[in-house]
Amino acid sequence: MALSNTDRIDHAIIEATMTPPPESPPPLSDTTKAVVSVALAAYLIGLVLSIVGNSVSGSSALVRTIKGRLFSPWMQPAWLDLGFDHPFTYGFPDDVDHTLEIRSRGNEPAAMQFPGERTGEQAARWRRLARTIAVAAEGGNAPPLTAGVAAGSFADMGIEDVTVRVLRRPLPEREALATDSRLRQPHAARVRRVADEIQVIELGGAAKQAEMAPLLREPTRAAPPDEEEDGDE
Amino acid sequence: MNDTAINAPVLPHGNAADRIASTWLDYWFTPADARPLAAVRILTGLLGLALAMSYAGDLVRWFGPGGMLPPEAVDGWRPRVGLSPLDSVATSLGLHVFFAALVAALVAVTIGFPSQVACVVAALLWAALLNRGPMLAGPADDCLAILLWCLAVGPCGRAWSLDRVICDRRGLAAPRPSPWASTSLGLLRIHATAITLGVLCAQLKGDDWWNGTAAWWLAAGPDAPFVDLTALYRRSEYAMNLVTHGIVAFEILFAMGLWFDASRQTVCRAGLIAWPIIGLLAGEPLFGLAMAIFSVPWVWSWPR
Repeated sequence: MALSNTDRIDHAIIEATMTPPPESPPPLSDTTKAVVSVALAAYLIGLVLSIVGNSVSGSSALVRTIKGRLFSPWMQPAWLDLGFDHPFTYGFPDDVDHTLEIRSRGNEPAAMQFPGERTGEQAARWRRLARTIAVAAEGGNAPPLTAGVAAGSFADMGIEDVTVRVLRRPLPEREALATDSRLRQPHAARVRRVADEIQVIELGGAAKQAEMAPLLREPTRAAPPDEEEDGDE
Repeated sequence: MNDTAINAPVLPHGNAADRIASTWLDYWFTPADARPLAAVRILTGLLGLALAMSYAGDLVRWFGPGGMLPPEAVDGWRPRVGLSPLDSVATSLGLHVFFAALVAALVAVTIGFPSQVACVVAALLWAALLNRGPMLAGPADDCLAILLWCLAVGPCGRAWSLDRVICDRRGLAAPRPSPWASTSLGLLRIHATAITLGVLCAQLKGDDWWNGTAAWWLAAGPDAPFVDLTALYRRSEYAMNLVTHGIVAFEILFAMGLWFDASRQTVCRAGLIAWPIIGLLAGEPLFGLAMAIFSVPWVWSWPR
């Protein structure tokens, strides 16, 4: 049956004004909700244990064990095992400006400083690295990182015998009339490659003089301590 | 009657267990608008690009062959399970390919194509990068990882995305509220609280945050704000105390206010301004921005 003009216009209006129905997401089944709820509950427990277990104050053996066995194996690779313990400052030496310096020990001494001219987050990453080495030196754990940093600089320095130093610029006291701008040296080590082995010889700061790092596999005579002294620059 | 009321789970409210179950289901599965997630997605992608760029200049120097941070040197700073796929990347080319993939994933997160897959890929690659050199990571890096994982759960590409444009061209109608959006927003809220409480607890372990001098150390530190506040603090101890206590007070209000309907929007609006300022004062501007992003979903009453 042929449509009249009025009918055609009505159909056209209806088609033009019709919008597709809203895309309705399928409702979640009870099973899905139950499975997701269990997963969320497990994650929330892991989140709490991560915060408790990554505190700067340390954690109990119970928390460490539960977190280490049940949660860290899947939270750590995803960078979810976090304590969020960022105080920003305690006014401690660890909070001050740290600089990493690498100096060659050849006839033509050259030096690299990090962060150097870098700014912003890029500079902050170098400061974190320098701070990590300084803090590790206090516990005697700096040699592996010092060796890595130094070995990574051999190509740039053109020599496989360098001095790595971490320098600290102390924060000024509020009441102090003059700023103490002298740099502190919490860690210094001579690093060289001898017969394909990396030697780390700690020079000062928190480290002991002329101590051989465990990286040295072959018995080799310890180098004399560097002329640079412990303590203030 | 609105969608929320229609789709809310109906449970008997007879006893405490039922009420807890009902509250749990309401919190995680009541269908919610996906547009707040879309806003978080765009801002997270931009934050991720800014953070990734801070690695770009020194990537090979740190992680390349013969770099300063060989895997054996950083092993002492990461747990046994914190290994990174980047440990096995032995060439500069491989490192650059990895980094290009990370940047591409973060661009895909920003433009929203394909949104959720991009979030998962970006989160995995970001975690791999952070696990490769954990001593380089800062608070903003942690927040980015959390944001990406939270977004991966929900339909963050249903609005303001290339995904949406493609759906529009195919004639698909605008999506209705989704229960997964609620799950994702719920995770964002919990993490915003957890991060704030973590920071707060860490601060309150130090005397400086109690005696009001922390603001001085922040202003005098290496990452001091762009405006030198030390002169002001030297002149006025009260100003220094006010800033220190103000930071702590805001963090307490933010962590609590997120959980009450009456205060949520107000604290989130305040967070949009206060967190970037705290970030600047603390020398962690990107952390401040990341925390502001956590506030975004509840800043507006999103119109239908």
